[in-house]
Amino acid sequence: MKPTTKLLPERATAGTVIGGTTVSYLFAIATFAFFAWFVVVRQRQPFDMTTIEPYRSAIAAGFLRTLWVSLVTLVVSTSLGFVFYLLSTSRLGYFRAFTNVFTEIIYGTPLLVMIMIMAFVIGPAFGSTNRSVMGFVGLIVYITPYMTNIFRSAIASISSEQYMAMDLFGFTPYQRYRYIIVPQVVRILMPPLMNNFSLIIKGSALLNVLSYRELFYEVSLMTNNTFRFVEGFLLMWGLYLVITIPLSQLTKMIDWRWGL
Amino acid sequence: MKVELERLSHSYDVEVLHDLSLTLNDYKAVAIIGMSGSGKSTLLRILSGLERPSAGTVRVNNHDVTNAEYRKQVGFVFQHHSLFPHLTLLRNITLVLEKTRGYTPEEASARAMEFLDLLHLGDQAHKRPRNVSGGQAQRGSIARALSLDPEVVFLDEPTSALDPILTFEVLSAITELRNIGKGFVLVSHVMNFVAAFADYVIYLHQGRIAEHGAPTILDNPSSRELRDFMARVPDLSFR
Repeated sequence: MKPTTKLLPERATAGTVIGGTTVSYLFAIATFAFFAWFVVVRQRQPFDMTTIEPYRSAIAAGFLRTLWVSLVTLVVSTSLGFVFYLLSTSRLGYFRAFTNVFTEIIYGTPLLVMIMIMAFVIGPAFGSTNRSVMGFVGLIVYITPYMTNIFRSAIASISSEQYMAMDLFGFTPYQRYRYIIVPQVVRILMPPLMNNFSLIIKGSALLNVLSYRELFYEVSLMTNNTFRFVEGFLLMWGLYLVITIPLSQLTKMIDWRWGL
Repeated sequence: MKVELERLSHSYDVEVLHDLSLTLNDYKAVAIIGMSGSGKSTLLRILSGLERPSAGTVRVNNHDVTNAEYRKQVGFVFQHHSLFPHLTLLRNITLVLEKTRGYTPEEASARAMEFLDLLHLGDQAHKRPRNVSGGQAQRGSIARALSLDPEVVFLDEPTSALDPILTFEVLSAITELRNIGKGFVLVSHVMNFVAAFADYVIYLHQGRIAEHGAPTILDNPSSRELRDFMARVPDLSFR
């Protein structure tokens, strides 16, 4: 009685994860490109990117500030999120309740409202009149519970049977973290972390209401002077997509290559 | 394999095992059967040292099962394969051999391949658990358990998470291991596998041993409880 070696189909390859065939993708992208072209030619004013040329360095600086703000927010909110995760597993009921109440409040708040409250209400109460910085803090505070959440689900996804197996084999606590727990958590964490990064980049556009000179602000400034709304806003849209789409593709690649 | 239960009781919130006493000498494969909630998994976990009994003493091959050293003599196969999902089947075995048993990487790799081959997984060694079938992953768990050279291998419903074809595959592989010189203690719902593999059967009913003996008791039960159980258990075909 030899066991029948029945193979399940291999996990999807990179091509199919990204979905369907290359040809379908080219057609789909062409559809959106055609729509963009259609929208551009329908404008009363002829489309002319050279009109915004003088603002090039200002917009580039705004683009870099958007990236900078997003990266700092990513690092700080990830760290804070981990601290909140630890608090949420605390033996002290107060800390668990604190993180739950905090999460509920943030989940129920629009990001724009959070930023305004931070800049105009909470900031001044602590003597800060720098609204850009307080808005930035608002963005960090807003993302933190989303970070806590991904830590929680990543750590919970290690099955209890794996812990029992580690027990039976006699792994030391260091070996458990080094060889089993951390390598898995990092892999599980990567895709949602990248998603949250995308969320941060998109959310950072709201900081323009506080006159923080990020991408949206610089482009608005330009359009107010030149009335070149079509060129400016399309460029801005493209610049956001240039960061977020590769990021989401990278996330899929990571998940395909390293996912559990 | 020698198994001694002396006035064993165990409770979580309620008592699940009531005052069990039994001595078994020289059996190769002991099966524990019974309905859900009869306490069979609990008994298996106590025998394997995964859980401490609330009262009584339990000895397997003259080891006290509450002794921490006993755990190193034990192989355990869970309902769901407990392979580490980020590692290949091969690395799942070599990691444990290298880090907890002091093997060099070369020795560990040779030994791991030996046991993967024994379970017909030689060609799957470099795949991760998600890229093999559930049956192959479960056989990988068995290979990992055996590679640690345990005295006794415990199997807790090793096929209950698998479809009938994969169940057949895994139970066939286990059957082939019968004469490798290990003791086996297992919980299974596949009665004709139990009848073919085990040389002793314990039937638990509501935390008590209602009947025990050679596998022939499955065909000719003397207690009413086992008769009822055998009449109700579906005949999952194996062999």
